[in-house]
Amino acid sequence: MKCEKCNQNEATFFYQTQINGHATSLALCHTCAAEAGLVSNKGGTEPFAFSLGGFPNLLGDIFAPSQHKKRAADAVCPACGATWSDLAAVGKVGCPDCYRTFAEQLSPSIRAMHGNATHTGRAPAKAQAARDKLTRTEALKKELKAAIESENFEKAAALRDEIRALQEKEV
Amino acid sequence: MAWYQVKASEADTVISSRIRLARNLEGFAFGKRLQNEDKKTIIERVEQALAGADFTRTDIDALTPVAARALVEQHLISPELASAKGPRALFRCEGQSLYLMVCEEDHLRLQCILPGLALRDAYRFAAACDDRLDAALPLAFDEKLGYLTHCPTNLGTGLRASVMLFLPALTDHGMIGTLSHQLSKLGLTIRGIYGEGSAAHGAIYQVSNQVTLGLSEEDILQKLEDAVESIIKTERELRAKPTGEAKLLREDRIHRAEGILRYATRLSSEEFFSLYKDLKQGIAEGLITSISHETLNTLLIAVMPAMLTQNEATPPKTAGERDMLRAAFIKKALEVKENG
Ligand SMILES: [Zn+2]
Ligand SMILES: [Zn+2]
Repeated sequence: MKCEKCNQNEATFFYQTQINGHATSLALCHTCAAEAGLVSNKGGTEPFAFSLGGFPNLLGDIFAPSQHKKRAADAVCPACGATWSDLAAVGKVGCPDCYRTFAEQLSPSIRAMHGNATHTGRAPAKAQAARDKLTRTEALKKELKAAIESENFEKAAALRDEIRALQEKEV
Repeated sequence: MAWYQVKASEADTVISSRIRLARNLEGFAFGKRLQNEDKKTIIERVEQALAGADFTRTDIDALTPVAARALVEQHLISPELASAKGPRALFRCEGQSLYLMVCEEDHLRLQCILPGLALRDAYRFAAACDDRLDAALPLAFDEKLGYLTHCPTNLGTGLRASVMLFLPALTDHGMIGTLSHQLSKLGLTIRGIYGEGSAAHGAIYQVSNQVTLGLSEEDILQKLEDAVESIIKTERELRAKPTGEAKLLREDRIHRAEGILRYATRLSSEEFFSLYKDLKQGIAEGLITSISHETLNTLLIAVMPAMLTQNEATPPKTAGERDMLRAAFIKKALEVKENG
């Protein structure tokens, strides 16, 4: 597939976003993606050095100017009133909720900065408790499956009760 | 005592280690969407959260520009916090070297800065304080994205770990560019501080992690620590290289630097940085024994413009007057050390 911006090089970068509620995807070559600040222009997938000011071109410059206008009627963050254009203009979000409101639009830039990553590491106590609960539930479900397969129904019943109790517990 | 006055490990190459955690409160906006009333509320809530711990509050908006600048020069607050508008505060706990900036780019920026190579200790202090904040405040967090921050570059752990390094030999061998390239492959970055860009800077650099999402705090610290240890090794090898005439010339330069620092009556900050570079190498090599690394690091902070002038009854009006004040200050600081 050819790059949709220069129509010359082979596309290696696939960008997806929502415009006016329609899912839009864009296939770019490495050069065009680098120009838009979506990947490192040094090649490869290594994280690249950002200027200290953040990522001014990352959100704004991916689309041609004509498509910028169409975004006027885009979604508004119910918590802070910011629009996607507001975010793109400064390269920063308006409030913590913006990460939920604009999850899809933000995803490519976040991937460009941090790679295709999910948070690991510290969490607030409440989130940590939810994580622990999930891990424990998964482990019990595995045990339950094994118990049923080995027709140990007494154990299976006990495990089922334990899982139920765990799920009812408030975090 | 401030971090720069304390005797440190690896003092010949490492000046300080710093941990910064970015945290935000659920239900409050960022940047210009955050009203002054909300900023006051955040500051109050942080004060309550820290009650009982040994923190003192400084309202940055109530300080003179020089006093705010002096906090920047001591690396206790960011230039952004000093120059921002509206209510904003610093909570500090000297005992644990913790400095919590409130209403900077993020609602909370918790820093711990320790002398020498001490990333783990700094992280331990910061994490304990983070627990205290978490117990009292609704920290914005997402399972996938981690701690939610104003700028997406800080998502995830919100952790920026950095080490301030003194690298005169790598600088003189023109190897900082190569080093920078190697570090970027590891997701780390290096930048010069103090007179960056000018020929006569102090060969002081900061190495820090670039990526904050997808790696645990432990991974980030380990990666940075490994890189710093290998940088220290190379720097020391290069320092030991000169022999014969080159060695004699360097020794001469080091002793001249000491002479100028002790007896000059006028010193610009650029000249100070250049002398600092020679003198610190002299201390590291044992050629200079009457001045310690701590004394020199303290001078590095104390002779910055705001630190130098903040307690003067009649602040210097021209650059020339300031250079005379700087020279006099250094002369006195080194004399006291000699007699004591
Ligand atoms: Zn292209
Ligand atoms: Zn928002």
